[in-house]
Amino acid sequence: MISLHGTVEIGNFSREFTIDVGNEIVGVFGTNGSGKTSVLRTIAGLCPLGKGKLIVNGELVDAPAEHIFVQPELRHIGMVFQDHSLFPFMTALDNAAFPLQMRGMKRTAAQKLANEMLEQFGVANVGQQMASTLSGGQSQRVAIVRALIGSPKVVLLDEPLSAIDDESRDGVRNLIREHLVRLGVSAIVVSHDRTELDHLCTRIENYTR
Amino acid sequence: MNYVSSRTPRVVRMGALLGVAFLALTIVGLLKRVAWSTLWDQLTDVATRDALRISLYASVCATVLALVLGLPLAWCLARMQFAGRRFVRALVLLPMVLPPVVGGVALLGAYGKTNGLLGGVLHSLFGIQLTYSLWGVIIAEAFVALPFLVLSLEGGLRSIDTKYEESAAVMGATDFTRFMRITLPLLKPSLVAGLMLAWARALGEFGATITFAGNIQGRTQTAPLAVYTMLESNPEGAYALSFLLVAVSVGVLVGLRDRWIGGGS
Repeated sequence: MISLHGTVEIGNFSREFTIDVGNEIVGVFGTNGSGKTSVLRTIAGLCPLGKGKLIVNGELVDAPAEHIFVQPELRHIGMVFQDHSLFPFMTALDNAAFPLQMRGMKRTAAQKLANEMLEQFGVANVGQQMASTLSGGQSQRVAIVRALIGSPKVVLLDEPLSAIDDESRDGVRNLIREHLVRLGVSAIVVSHDRTELDHLCTRIENYTR
Repeated sequence: MNYVSSRTPRVVRMGALLGVAFLALTIVGLLKRVAWSTLWDQLTDVATRDALRISLYASVCATVLALVLGLPLAWCLARMQFAGRRFVRALVLLPMVLPPVVGGVALLGAYGKTNGLLGGVLHSLFGIQLTYSLWGVIIAEAFVALPFLVLSLEGGLRSIDTKYEESAAVMGATDFTRFMRITLPLLKPSLVAGLMLAWARALGEFGATITFAGNIQGRTQTAPLAVYTMLESNPEGAYALSFLLVAVSVGVLVGLRDRWIGGGS
């Protein structure tokens, strides 16, 4: 569950947001500069809330007035970053296995699970390649795997299909939806592509300026 | 190559050639004076061996000390906003521009046995003497090597895109794990380059060492100090040891150029 009632402030940007997400996939639609990515960064804990309250998984994680701020590493969130942010010095497989290792799983076991999931997303063949050598589409698929693999209860996806080619877009979108539904998560998908959100989400919030 | 860069004026080429000759002549002159037939004997002489052993040990220890002090300093300078940051950076850079002998005098003022601010206390309370000891050599070398390491690390830390550390945090990595698993691998090129520069600077240190730690054979006499001492009593030995130090320096430069600095083709 995600409940954000407050002001998102990053640099000179400042905007009021009211978002409540249960076990559903909510799309956040908006043009460039409308604060879509800032909302995700705030929920993830990468930027503190300016004013208001943020509840994630039933826990109050950000409330400036009450001096509450829970670090991002303690929020148990899976996130696909807009530029994927794969660690360039690791293989695709190690990138995908990273969240599991952070939860205490041994490297071999984590890699086994990661490999299975990379296979589902059609990128197991590049598992041993360094992340820096992957194409945009491959990199984005690995980033999606990395966000979902730890079975988080909250998943944030920032333009998750932007680098996927048209032919495989439907397949990847269906896979994402399957995983989100199976995990029973609260998910927010951010995009400037309304059609994409219509296909993936259960409802859409419009934050066009 | 475009038209402009292919048209270098003749006077510039001549100037560059003179610059190369000016530098290369010193190396050629040194190589010419090396007695190749007795090189091995000179390098295995007791005084030379002692100096090399002390130099190697002290320079490695000094580099480690510089790393222990320099990494947190570089981190704070690169990542933190605090009052007096410019002052701290100037302080870090000071040993780079200070005449080494003055650095040695300053070290005496701080860590000297009798009148040193901290050295006096260490001696009176614990009987620890830093001056004229191997520890003195290590401290003097760390003092001059520290800025090279801090500059390299600070530049490296500034150039790292924090998005990788952010994504690791979201995935559950703690501060320490992020540093070890993400920041350090990204920092590796700057770290290795900084360590090599700091080690080379420590190995070649002369002024601060002779002032603070003295020139005692077998105890504080490093290779550069041995070269200085031998120049009068045993010039052949001095040139042999100088040749070795030049070879090491060239090795460091070649290593930095090909692997970390990324020189021209």
